[in-house]
Amino acid sequence: MSDRLSFHVQRDSFLHRLNPLTKLTLAFALVVVAFVLPFYWTPIFVLFAVIVPLSVSGKIFREFSWAALRLILPAVGFLFVMQALFQPIGEQVVFKFYFLDATTESVAYAFRNAARIFVMISAFTLFLLSTHPSELMSDLTRRGLPSQFSYVVISTLQIIPQMQAKANAIIAAQRSRGLDTESSFLKRAGALGPLVGPLVFGSLVEVEERAIAIEARGFTSKRAKTSLYEIADSKFESVLRWSLVALVVLSIGLNLWHS
Amino acid sequence: MNIEIKSLHFAYPDGTEALKGISLTIASGEQIAIVGQNGAGKTTLARHLNGLLKPSGGTVFVGDWETTQHPVAKLAARVGYVFQNPDEQLFSRDVLTEVSFGPRNLGYAKEKVDALAQRALALTELSEKTEVNPYDLSPTWRKMVALASIIAMDTPIVVFDEPTTGQDAANVARIARVVAELKREGKTVIAITHDIDFCAENFERVVALSRGQILLDGATRDVLGQEAVLAQTYVEPPQLTRLGKRLGLKETVVNQEELLQALKK
Amino acid sequence: MAFVNVRNLTYAYPLTKQPALQDINLQIEEGEFVALIGANGAGKSTLCYALAGFVPHFFKGELQGEVEADGKLSSQSTLSEWTLNVGLTFQNPFNQISGAKYTVFEEIAFGLENIGVPREEIKVRVEEALALTDIRELARRSPYSLSGGQQQRVALTSILVMRPKLLVLDEPTSQMDPVGAKEVFSAVRKLAQEGMTVVMAEHKTEWIARFADRVVALKEGRILMQGAPREVLTSDLLFENGFGVSRYTSAAREARRRGLWTKKSLPVSLDEAAEGFGAIR
Repeated sequence: MSDRLSFHVQRDSFLHRLNPLTKLTLAFALVVVAFVLPFYWTPIFVLFAVIVPLSVSGKIFREFSWAALRLILPAVGFLFVMQALFQPIGEQVVFKFYFLDATTESVAYAFRNAARIFVMISAFTLFLLSTHPSELMSDLTRRGLPSQFSYVVISTLQIIPQMQAKANAIIAAQRSRGLDTESSFLKRAGALGPLVGPLVFGSLVEVEERAIAIEARGFTSKRAKTSLYEIADSKFESVLRWSLVALVVLSIGLNLWHS
Repeated sequence: MNIEIKSLHFAYPDGTEALKGISLTIASGEQIAIVGQNGAGKTTLARHLNGLLKPSGGTVFVGDWETTQHPVAKLAARVGYVFQNPDEQLFSRDVLTEVSFGPRNLGYAKEKVDALAQRALALTELSEKTEVNPYDLSPTWRKMVALASIIAMDTPIVVFDEPTTGQDAANVARIARVVAELKREGKTVIAITHDIDFCAENFERVVALSRGQILLDGATRDVLGQEAVLAQTYVEPPQLTRLGKRLGLKETVVNQEELLQALKK
Repeated sequence: MAFVNVRNLTYAYPLTKQPALQDINLQIEEGEFVALIGANGAGKSTLCYALAGFVPHFFKGELQGEVEADGKLSSQSTLSEWTLNVGLTFQNPFNQISGAKYTVFEEIAFGLENIGVPREEIKVRVEEALALTDIRELARRSPYSLSGGQQQRVALTSILVMRPKLLVLDEPTSQMDPVGAKEVFSAVRKLAQEGMTVVMAEHKTEWIARFADRVVALKEGRILMQGAPREVLTSDLLFENGFGVSRYTSAAREARRRGLWTKKSLPVSLDEAAEGFGAIR
């Protein structure tokens, strides 16, 4: 079973100490800017002038670059190739693949889109790497988000390891009864009933018992909730957030004015 | 069919070393209980017997099969494994179908599947309940259905993971009867258990694990008599063994009959 | 005036005819440690749910009679008011993990956050609770990475940290190793001495005899017998009804049948058994 339930990497850094809402606002602002600022190199600028330096100052450059190269780049690369080949614009052919042509224009177009998507995913990767999910939720709850809502969000994030644990137990049990889950697709499709049945029943029981368990620990108590974590916030961060909002508004304005 | 474990090492993906060099030979027809504290490696060891886990080092042979060479679904013909929580395996609409699932997977003819299922149901006292949906049964009886569904596979080796956990006295007695019957049939029975009194009364050999290694291995009487060593793995000798010691009996007693006989002398 | 008063309680789960509890009358004093024994399906868990307010607030169905604790009626309180004073753990530890926390430490703090305990006090109380159940070394682990026995300790600790006046435990040690189980009994005994009222459903009669103040034996939803552990656990009534008792008691009963046991009462503990059997030698 995995001990690692979130992307979060514990480090002592400026980025980690920022208020979760500030980091969330920053991630959103970077994405909006990358998408709407009407300059071709904006996404690349955001990536190399903002996101990468932040990952270095956040002491998570190693984890960030691992995710960027191993997870984001292949997906975005695929998107780039597809768009370069299929986008029916431009005349100047730079590459031929059977009947598909990549033109200077389609390559430029695909590159910008790929760069935007890259920024989008890496901005949120940076956010997730440097922010503990519990801290984010505690902070949002403190700002008035209903606690039931944050419970749903957090417990949904945790569903994967839970379901994994349950599913592993069920698969182990059924394989031990001679169920073939390792060979042909057809056999595996036939194995679905014995695997899904206990999972569904187990989940029904679990939902009921989970409700009792959290209720027994005062979940619906009328008292104002507190948080184990002290979540820092400051005037400076508040100003920073509003500046980011202003930047977003400005970029959108510039985009509209430009077009 | 013998089980031969040679310097078995196992580490989980996160690096936790769960087994650190286990060597163990289990002869055909033996009744073995594996005891030890939470986290000692009991379940990890048991899961190597039917190939659910494959060694990081060393070998596990079940008969002439090395477990790494055969898929779990094939090993299931040799080693039956009763899991602790029945709700992780029951899925059929009625008890008979559930119990027939294992032998059907093993590819037996219909007549043989039926015969095996009926025998297993009789052994677990479920013959009256074949038509019932397993989920309409109490947890106690669901446990028995899980037992029956493995016994029906008629494997030469049966592994029980914590068979008596959360069971009342009547069901513990029922499970003990199943173990005794399997023994009579010449099957190898291996149980992981915290229930040391159950262990003393139903098993002839005990292996005590501690932190991934074998602490003690031998005849039940010899192992359960060693109070000081067992304490290292958070196990206390059975009630009657402790009583025998307190009374200053020369022989270690492990059950009621032995105690009363020893007192007569 | 008893701390807990259960009066004429009869209850059937929705869609069932056979009541799970019938005509239960039970008084429990403050600081008393009461053990519930009985076969699976005898009503132990349902009685635990009733004491903890989940019957009838969570499980609907047919309810007669009443449950009173600390001078308040459960039917007149909301569930969240009731659970402030009454803590509950039940059998499956996996399903008791909140699912909202990443470490055991956070998991145990969850209840205290919910009832608005200040941050610094949360930290102190969680540390204390971890020490009480001896799981300090698990504090940084994920609750999902633990074994069943360890999860059971976490579930227990998560309730203890809330300092309920009434603690209701449904088979809290079923997946623990023998010494771990005994330690839980001993820790609970200590809490009862400090004034916590405890109701625990369990099968481990040796530790019940040693640590509990009183035993309530349930059969088919009714109280068959209750009283001091020795009196109940050695009674013929319990024996005739097939209850599980310690090996000391059953061995002495068999010795008595064979004319070997001469003492008037049967033993429930190692000491008593050693004394009685010592006389035979």
